Amino acid sequence: MSVLDRKLFREIVQTRVMLVAIVGITAIGIASLVAMLNSHKNLVAARDSYYATCRMPDFWVDIKKLPRSELTRIARIPGVSELRPRIASEANVQLDDVERPLSGVVLSLPADPKPVLANIVMTKGGYFSRDGVGEVIVHAAFADAHGLKPGDRIQLILNNRLQTLLIVGTAVSSEFVYQIAPGGLVPEPESYGVFFVSDKFAEDTFDMQGACNQIVGLLSPELRTHPDHILDEIERQLDDYGVLSTTPRREQVSHWFLNSEIQGLKVTSTILPAMFLAVAAVILNTLMSRIAEMQRSVVGTLKAIGYSNGAMFIHFMRFGLLVGGIGGLVGIAGGLALAGLMTHEYRIVFTFPQFENRPYPPVMAAGMLMSVAFAVLGSLRGVSQIVRLQPAEAMRPKPPEFGRRNPLEYWPAIWMRLGAGWRMVVRNLTRQRLRTLAGLFSSAIGCSLIFVAFQTRDSMSEMIRFQYDQILLSDFELTFKDDRELTALADVARLPGVDRVEPVFSVACTFRNDHQSKEGGITGLIPSARLTVPRNLKGDAVEVPQSGVLLTRALANELNVSAGETIVVEPTRGDKTPCRILVAQVVDSYLGMAAYANFGYLNALVGEESAVSAVQLKLDPRTKQTQAFYREVKRLAGIQTVTSVRSQKAKLDELILDKMLISLFMVTTFSGLILFGSILNSSLISLSERRVEIATMRVLGYTPQEVGSVFLREGLTLNLAGSLLGLPLGYGISQAMIGAYDTELFRLPWDVANRTWCLPILAAIAFTWLAHLPVMRAIRRLDWQQALNVKE
Amino acid sequence: MPDADEPNGDEPTASVQPFTRSSAGAPSLMRLREVSKTYHMGDVSVPVLHHINLEIRRGELLVVVGPSGSGKSTLLNIVGGIDTPTSGEVWFGERDLAKLSGEELTRHRRLKVGFVFQFYNLVPTLTAVENVLVAAELTDKPMSPTDALDLVGLEHRRDHFPSQLSGGEQQRVAIARAISTHPQLLLCDEPTGALDLATGRMILGVLADLNRDLGTTVVIITHNSAIARIADRIVRIGSGTIADIRENPRKQTSAEISW
Repeated sequence: MSVLDRKLFREIVQTRVMLVAIVGITAIGIASLVAMLNSHKNLVAARDSYYATCRMPDFWVDIKKLPRSELTRIARIPGVSELRPRIASEANVQLDDVERPLSGVVLSLPADPKPVLANIVMTKGGYFSRDGVGEVIVHAAFADAHGLKPGDRIQLILNNRLQTLLIVGTAVSSEFVYQIAPGGLVPEPESYGVFFVSDKFAEDTFDMQGACNQIVGLLSPELRTHPDHILDEIERQLDDYGVLSTTPRREQVSHWFLNSEIQGLKVTSTILPAMFLAVAAVILNTLMSRIAEMQRSVVGTLKAIGYSNGAMFIHFMRFGLLVGGIGGLVGIAGGLALAGLMTHEYRIVFTFPQFENRPYPPVMAAGMLMSVAFAVLGSLRGVSQIVRLQPAEAMRPKPPEFGRRNPLEYWPAIWMRLGAGWRMVVRNLTRQRLRTLAGLFSSAIGCSLIFVAFQTRDSMSEMIRFQYDQILLSDFELTFKDDRELTALADVARLPGVDRVEPVFSVACTFRNDHQSKEGGITGLIPSARLTVPRNLKGDAVEVPQSGVLLTRALANELNVSAGETIVVEPTRGDKTPCRILVAQVVDSYLGMAAYANFGYLNALVGEESAVSAVQLKLDPRTKQTQAFYREVKRLAGIQTVTSVRSQKAKLDELILDKMLISLFMVTTFSGLILFGSILNSSLISLSERRVEIATMRVLGYTPQEVGSVFLREGLTLNLAGSLLGLPLGYGISQAMIGAYDTELFRLPWDVANRTWCLPILAAIAFTWLAHLPVMRAIRRLDWQQALNVKE
Repeated sequence: MPDADEPNGDEPTASVQPFTRSSAGAPSLMRLREVSKTYHMGDVSVPVLHHINLEIRRGELLVVVGPSGSGKSTLLNIVGGIDTPTSGEVWFGERDLAKLSGEELTRHRRLKVGFVFQFYNLVPTLTAVENVLVAAELTDKPMSPTDALDLVGLEHRRDHFPSQLSGGEQQRVAIARAISTHPQLLLCDEPTGALDLATGRMILGVLADLNRDLGTTVVIITHNSAIARIADRIVRIGSGTIADIRENPRKQTSAEISW
């Protein structure tokens, strides 16, 4: 170790508290970068290998019924490289020990294992034996939720017939990485399952001999990114067989959720770490500038005796490199651990056969590079000050600062009222402008992060509240396999505990306006509907018009249409005649893209009178008859799905709000470290500059507490002012983020709770006080008699 | 900030031609010809040195005396290669320091010059022996730091930090540091300025011993004219010009002088 290295080592030990704070903030930035980049790679790797193993389709086509022989026609369309017909159908599930109704989807597979499109990965047991009749392979998520294993039996209601099937195995499939029920938002593997049966069994069960009702297909590689015109062509060719929908991979629900998460990680992995690293660089900058000042004469001497500028640059830059290096190492280790935690969280919502947290050398290298780069950036100003010093000039003490008047002194009315302590605070803050700016920047960033974290939670909970306490007010929604007459209401009303029943008529359709078009559906509601209440942003109920439709804002925006204008609706049922209808009003909803119309009006539109496709109901809260209701509803014939709206809400609360507590805790801790580190750093720097001043105050009879209170006031002023700047900054970031969440499936409302305004300020106070503890310790330990004798 | 105070009225201001009075006995180590230095600070020009002509002889103990603001520190900086003149030549042997680049000057200082400062300028985070090493590490064949400390009588305090040493001890460490590279020229800027009389005498003794025993050329710059009595030659400087250069026939030991 050269003697300069020894000097460096001792200086590092001397400034360890500040360095630890800066290294900590750097490490957090790098940890969040590495964690997110690593998770991104983990997810992409898991997705790609899963998609390859399962041969994930590029598109899905749902048809009423298509003879398999017609497939050759589709296969000839240029760009279509492979097709597989299959049968897909909704199913109801009966498990002996489960009261509430369960549902799921049944998909068919060839009876013998082949690497087909949309294949499965077995997790337990084996494939079908021979033709697979009477056998089922259950999706592992549902099986695990109910303790089902190969050899068990399960009852499924398929095509209105109760079938008892032998579970031969459990499996997962790349089509269900994010496995949600239709219309759901979060996975509920315990109430919605996926069941794989053999083609033969499905053909027999669903009366589809020699036919299918779904095609999955692959496109030639160059067409994968823009499959739309091929899907149009397929739809055109199959028109006679009743195409219900075509779905390119980008719109497949599981893929959509998985990909939004992957995309989101990419965005967050640039913004969040950059904020932390910027703060670390700014704090490092103040520390290095202080070191440059403190070492003025040392640098001058070293240069005088023959050390070159390059040697001095390298010597002092090692400070920054050390911060960057250690911050990088700690950050990478922490980031990998954090990525492990994120992988664990992802396993709850995403189902993969193989999903590991692996270290990626390029990610680690990127982490190290960023850490060192920001540290070097942060050190550059201080170090270049050192290098620029001329030895002759450096050995003279620094000329005293010009006694600039601070802005407050121009208002004598205020200035004269301030006590000596506050005047000192104001003088110090205005004299060290760069340091004050650095402190303001750090605390603004820290507070803005806290604001954003809590605001996101506010928006999420407001979304859930608006959707489930304002719009969707039913307890259950029952959908019928086939449309029923209004008399079906009476059957439902007789179920135990039912307080109110309302019919719903839904029509799938394509909305068109000029060149915009969107596949969706219209929900027909009775005029006095109280279980689904369309509302505007203010929360006022909007009456469903006698004619025309109410569009939710997202759909209206998508179609570029406003209230009072008309759109074209092409129903997928009846005689399918396109009709032009009035958009009566635009309403608000944060989930999906709904449209509402009058029950009778919608029926008439497709040539029906009073068809009912679903029933919404509310149970009497006084008679807690849910169990009895469950028992009886399962006996009702022709029911396709029973959705518990309340348990959907509870699941959302659990998954979104509770899980967010972890991230809230982390963000608050991380931001706290910024607030803490920044104040600690500026206080300790200021302490080292003002040893003589403090010693003088002690001589005059100030107690350590009184001396400390000057520092505490400085810290509080900085962090409070910073937090006031941080609130609008956080507000802006939050709004940008809410905007980014504006997707087809869900949007976030803008909502800020009072608590969200207050918490960043409280955090600023709390962490300033925490940072004051080591400062107080340093003040108590200061040898003030000696400080008075030292030449400055 | 450069030394640029008002000239001190007590100083002789008569213009003299220094070279004519110089009776070169020993070969010269350095020659300054027509050296001027002007500092520019924004729009203000502050002339500090005017047409300085000076010879430094090999092996001599030269004392430059002048009041504050007379330009003596600037002169020392130029002689030591820390600063460059605005005009003129600064010959060190066959090299004109005025024409050297920053790197060449750094190399020159490293190999040829030792510095001793008024406030010692030790690195506070290094021990005595390490402070000597800081300079010694820069050259190929340095004096062992222990030997250097031994020469100034501080071998026993080698592992103490500057804060654990008295002012005189710190200055002796600084001298050990300066001589550890076997410099041809030892430049001392007010080496006793921060010390009491007894300690100051001791430091001057050490410098005189080094000059005598090692043959190192020593230039001491001071405002304290009492110190001039230990010199071989005395240069008086005032208002940026050399007022007078004279031999000192009655050279005294450090113990004999007082202030």
